[in-house]
Amino acid sequence: MIPFDYRRAIDVDSAVAAATANPRAAYLGGGTNVVDHMKLGITGPGMLVDITGLPLDEIKELPDGRLRIGATVRNSDLAADPLIRRRYPVLSQALLAGASGQLRNLATTGGNLLQRTRCVYFQNVTTPCNKREPGSGCSALEGYTRYHAILGASADCVAVHPSDMAVAMAALDAVVVVTGVHGERSIPLRDFHRLPGREPERDTVLDHGELIIAVELPALPARARSSYRKVRDRASYAFALVSVAAVLELEIPENRGTVGAHPAQPPGPALIKDIRLALGGVAHKPWRASRAEEFLRGKEAVEENFRRAAEEELDSAATLRDNAFKVPMSRNTIVAVLRDLTAAQAGKEQQR
Amino acid sequence: MDINGAPNEEQPRPGQCLRTFLREQGLLGVKKGCDGGDCGACTVHVDGKPVHSCLYPAVRAQGRSITTVEGLAGPDSLHPMQEQFLAAQGFQCGFCTAGMLMTAATFDAAQKENLPRNLKGNLCRCTGYAAIEDAVCGVSTGQSGGKQQLGDNVPAPAGREIVTGRARYTLDVPAAELPGLLHMKLVRSPHPHARIRSVDASAALLLPGVRAVFTHLDAPGQLFSTAQHELYTDDPDDTRVLDSVVRFIGQRVAAVVADSVAEAEAGVRAVAVDYELLEAVFDPELAVLPGAPTVHCDKDAALARIVSPRENVVAELHPELGDVTAGFREADVIHEKVYRTQRVQHVSLETHASIAYFEDDRAQSDGAQSDGGQSDGSQSDGGQSESRFGANGPSEAGTGAANFAGRLVVRSSTQTPFLTRRSLCRVFNLPEDRIRVVAGRVGGGFGGKQEMLTEDVVVLAALRLRRPVQLEFTRSEQFTAATTRHPFRIRLKAGARRDGTLTALQVDVLTNTGAYGNHAPGVMFHGCGESLAVYLCPNKKVDARAVYTNTVPSGAFRGYGLSQMIFAVESAIDELAADIGMDPMEFRRRNIIRRGDPMLSSHPEPADDVLYGSYGLDQCIELVADALARGRERYLTAGLAELGPDWVQGTGTALSMIDTVPPRGHFAHSRLCLLPDGGYRVDVGTAEFGNGTTTVHAQLAATALGTRADRVQVRQADTDLIVHDTGAFGSTGTVVAGKATLAAAQELAGRIRNLAAELSGVPAEQCVLGPDAVDCAGTLIALAELNRHAEDRGESLESEGRWHGSPRSVAFNVHGFAVAVNTGTGELRILQSVQAADAGVVVNPRQCRGQIEGGIAQALGAALYEEVRIGADGRVETDILRQYHIPTFADVPRSEVYFADTTDSLGPLGAKSMSESPFNPVAPALANAVRNATGLRFSELPLARDRIYLGLREAERAADLAAAREEQESADGRRRARA
Repeated sequence: MIPFDYRRAIDVDSAVAAATANPRAAYLGGGTNVVDHMKLGITGPGMLVDITGLPLDEIKELPDGRLRIGATVRNSDLAADPLIRRRYPVLSQALLAGASGQLRNLATTGGNLLQRTRCVYFQNVTTPCNKREPGSGCSALEGYTRYHAILGASADCVAVHPSDMAVAMAALDAVVVVTGVHGERSIPLRDFHRLPGREPERDTVLDHGELIIAVELPALPARARSSYRKVRDRASYAFALVSVAAVLELEIPENRGTVGAHPAQPPGPALIKDIRLALGGVAHKPWRASRAEEFLRGKEAVEENFRRAAEEELDSAATLRDNAFKVPMSRNTIVAVLRDLTAAQAGKEQQR
Repeated sequence: MDINGAPNEEQPRPGQCLRTFLREQGLLGVKKGCDGGDCGACTVHVDGKPVHSCLYPAVRAQGRSITTVEGLAGPDSLHPMQEQFLAAQGFQCGFCTAGMLMTAATFDAAQKENLPRNLKGNLCRCTGYAAIEDAVCGVSTGQSGGKQQLGDNVPAPAGREIVTGRARYTLDVPAAELPGLLHMKLVRSPHPHARIRSVDASAALLLPGVRAVFTHLDAPGQLFSTAQHELYTDDPDDTRVLDSVVRFIGQRVAAVVADSVAEAEAGVRAVAVDYELLEAVFDPELAVLPGAPTVHCDKDAALARIVSPRENVVAELHPELGDVTAGFREADVIHEKVYRTQRVQHVSLETHASIAYFEDDRAQSDGAQSDGGQSDGSQSDGGQSESRFGANGPSEAGTGAANFAGRLVVRSSTQTPFLTRRSLCRVFNLPEDRIRVVAGRVGGGFGGKQEMLTEDVVVLAALRLRRPVQLEFTRSEQFTAATTRHPFRIRLKAGARRDGTLTALQVDVLTNTGAYGNHAPGVMFHGCGESLAVYLCPNKKVDARAVYTNTVPSGAFRGYGLSQMIFAVESAIDELAADIGMDPMEFRRRNIIRRGDPMLSSHPEPADDVLYGSYGLDQCIELVADALARGRERYLTAGLAELGPDWVQGTGTALSMIDTVPPRGHFAHSRLCLLPDGGYRVDVGTAEFGNGTTTVHAQLAATALGTRADRVQVRQADTDLIVHDTGAFGSTGTVVAGKATLAAAQELAGRIRNLAAELSGVPAEQCVLGPDAVDCAGTLIALAELNRHAEDRGESLESEGRWHGSPRSVAFNVHGFAVAVNTGTGELRILQSVQAADAGVVVNPRQCRGQIEGGIAQALGAALYEEVRIGADGRVETDILRQYHIPTFADVPRSEVYFADTTDSLGPLGAKSMSESPFNPVAPALANAVRNATGLRFSELPLARDRIYLGLREAERAADLAAAREEQESADGRRRARA
């Protein structure tokens, strides 16, 4: 490990000032990612500003119905929060699908958003990697690409974002509240993470020294259902090959038949009033499937439409040598999640 | 901070994680399995919540309350979870146990309902999790109420130490016992093949705390093999402690020794090496082509025992039995396919590690050491009494001159203490009485510790520095610089008649031994042995070569070549059965060897010392067939309805045979004595690494001595205890070492009986040994009294037992799976898993079942997703547990385990070995089940989900194509007809 300074932040302003002033500073949240990466030599910050003592560990309901999650709320506390479990099951499921109990007891909400990729070449300091060492080249392109991106990748980087939580938050239209020396700003989560482009070293749109202080979740319509499903090699404790977070609001059609004609006739298929769909394991960021959403809005909630929507979304997928399977796997997982949500089966499935 | 209820004022060092801080406070129950939050062995509670202490900055613990396994309960009591782990024996090697039960101790009832989710942060490599599930849920297993002898579920003697974190593994030596301990880190090659022009250690030597840097100029010239065998000539001499040529990425280049690990790491970064790059070859198929780069062209074939250094061939085998050409002519169906098995790693939770120190230096260095200030990273000027010498200093190659007082002790994580001593003496030219090798409790082996991977280099440093030196591999080093299973490429051709008779079996085998030939000949020979010999087929032919490449060395791995070959052979048997439309089990029944049949792999002559001490293969087959039939009703009917239309289902089986002892001698020696209190003590050489032999020795001795296993203390794995022991490998813990112990116990029982007869006047044959006394036809003479009598006469009630491992018997395993495969996604679900084992008389059923469950779990990992991937440049890409997935709790189904009812005439009290073999039939049984479900033969491991998925898609495309072609043809036909 490279020597570094350690500073305990007393308040947000001084933390931000200290981190901004030192170009090699990094914030230390739960540390599950940063400490590991320091040991592996992936990162070597000159200063760690420990923010876990800051008063950012509350989950509170705002007067307008939104929920504000403090940046240092632990993943385990967030997953177990009764409001989260009741109103945003997709988020609770995603958290529990990720990491282990021991890690969730440490990992913070803000830190989870800032997780770095698990790309094997990023994690192996002996191989070139544009994300770790800009300009050094991308080893994955010539290497083993089973786990890599099929959407939004660039010629410089094909890594995927590892967070489960962020995928759920993307589907929930979460907003990330950050503060820096120039004040506070709110960034929609779908814009918070970047696609790699020519600067794969930048995972997010944060400026150096900016600190996440909270994530806000908008209220969901009362009838919206949500769910998260993760497909991976091992039954548990592995990063997603593909994951899907969905928030679905259905309109159950009125009985359209003539009064008295066939009173027992079952209603036709439900209509999709609104849908929000995000994919994990397929891109450099949680991938909001806007094209699929657009296709589905107002349509009947039937398997054929789910499939066509998924195909629409995946039309732009570009596969590498080893990851072509992710395209049909994404499609099938989208279809399965939406089918189950429609059948109101969400939440019954055991995620590990 | 508050640690285990007591305030602690110690300041953590900058950057220190909680794990190392706690260990420095003497809390050695906090283990390192990965150091990256993947395995959970370091789990402790911070304010009551379990966390990975390896990722927890120690400084943050200030003001908090920390609980380690040592503080989970009071000093003399156990926490309920500790009690439960004892009651269910929820451990084998025990290295993961402290972390596992620290996590489980926090569970409420709801969390216990979902262990697959809640235990995912704790990995176990030994048990297969069944016993852990029992433990966490409070199920008590194996209350036999028996006599604690043969056939009883005697608990492991070390159990209490394990669940309280007090069991001492290799590096669990309190700091006070090894003052002045230095730490070694290795400079490793970034190139797959290079000659070292020079090593500049000058910058490293100027760094604080760095004591020395060793290079090939310091290393003895003696070539050796890291593989440990009774006869060192079994393996090629192709390795040096530090070599001037590096042959794989990750090979040792130099060793930096410093006051702390961090300083040694800094030293490693400062060493500059000038390499002359050489051409490298990574693919064994290319390595054997003319003109390929040669990995060991500098070696003399005869001296090094390499078949052909110029062709990269370490060993080869070309026997033929009968006439395969004629056999294939007779066949109605022929199956021909190339099978491939991947590299897998042992992933024992305890990494390779050793400490070398001088017995007489312990006291001396006590006084010579300055305070602990050196370890905080500050420069210590006064402490450097030894001369520093670097890479380019005077060469003292062949440090052999034993010009040191006392003895050098090597404490190591090894399966072979005696062989390692022998190898160290050979390399450093020392007499055997100058080196003592001891193993603490070993945190898992699986063959990986039948190698000398750390001991040689710490001995080099200790001899030169006259200080204790420790080397501990990181988890990444386990993957990049230890050993793996040999990848096999098997071109297989098999033929059968329609009536179900196997007519010919031919294999062309290429094994990739990597950069060094450790175990290359043995794994290849053994792989091609029992896998073929179990079938009675008149025509068999083997062409096998073990080949060098510039990749991480392969080595001994559970099954020793058999798991690879059995995957191919058992897959082929299944295909032949399918081709002739016969049930695969029936096809096997018709072709397996039966008691009395010659066991012929491909040599016309059988091994003369492999006998049918017992035979239970037929029983195993029926046990599995019956269980699958029962399961078909239970699982398939229930499962099918639940799974939905995307799922197809099938069953598959495979069998395996293994010789109970490796060939050419396996030696054991036991010493036994009666203690003054009427108990016994047995000293054995074999190591305990979770294989359960400690319990077996105690039970065998107890049975012969009429006592209880808990009255027999076992000491082990120390070259001072007995004369010689070949080691705990080749499944020999019970059948070789146990046999020596049994012989000693039988002799001692006779002497005790004779003495009792003499004292009581009752004939010896009427004197019956009991746990406390000898019953001489109604008169009881206490054992303690007998002991006094013997002492008074100047006699001692002691005995010795020996066994040399020959003749040998055979053991069998049959595995069956029922699976479901999702044709849409390629997901594979195991609906039923059954294994039947022929272990002879089962000494300890609960423990033997645990060996089988653990073998199944490890094999499932290798069958489904484990793979050490090598990149295009020869680099290991999967170098942490996040990239190399071993099964978690959620991945392992409960298996049904059955035992055949046999008594072996060669093993101790009828027992046979059962430790490697449960692994061997698992992958082919799974592949056969997938074949049965999908119609697709997967001939390459692992059977990862995307591989199944792509196979299904390809088959669909082929079917579509065939349908289209058919349509086209019929259209053409119609056109032609019209024309």
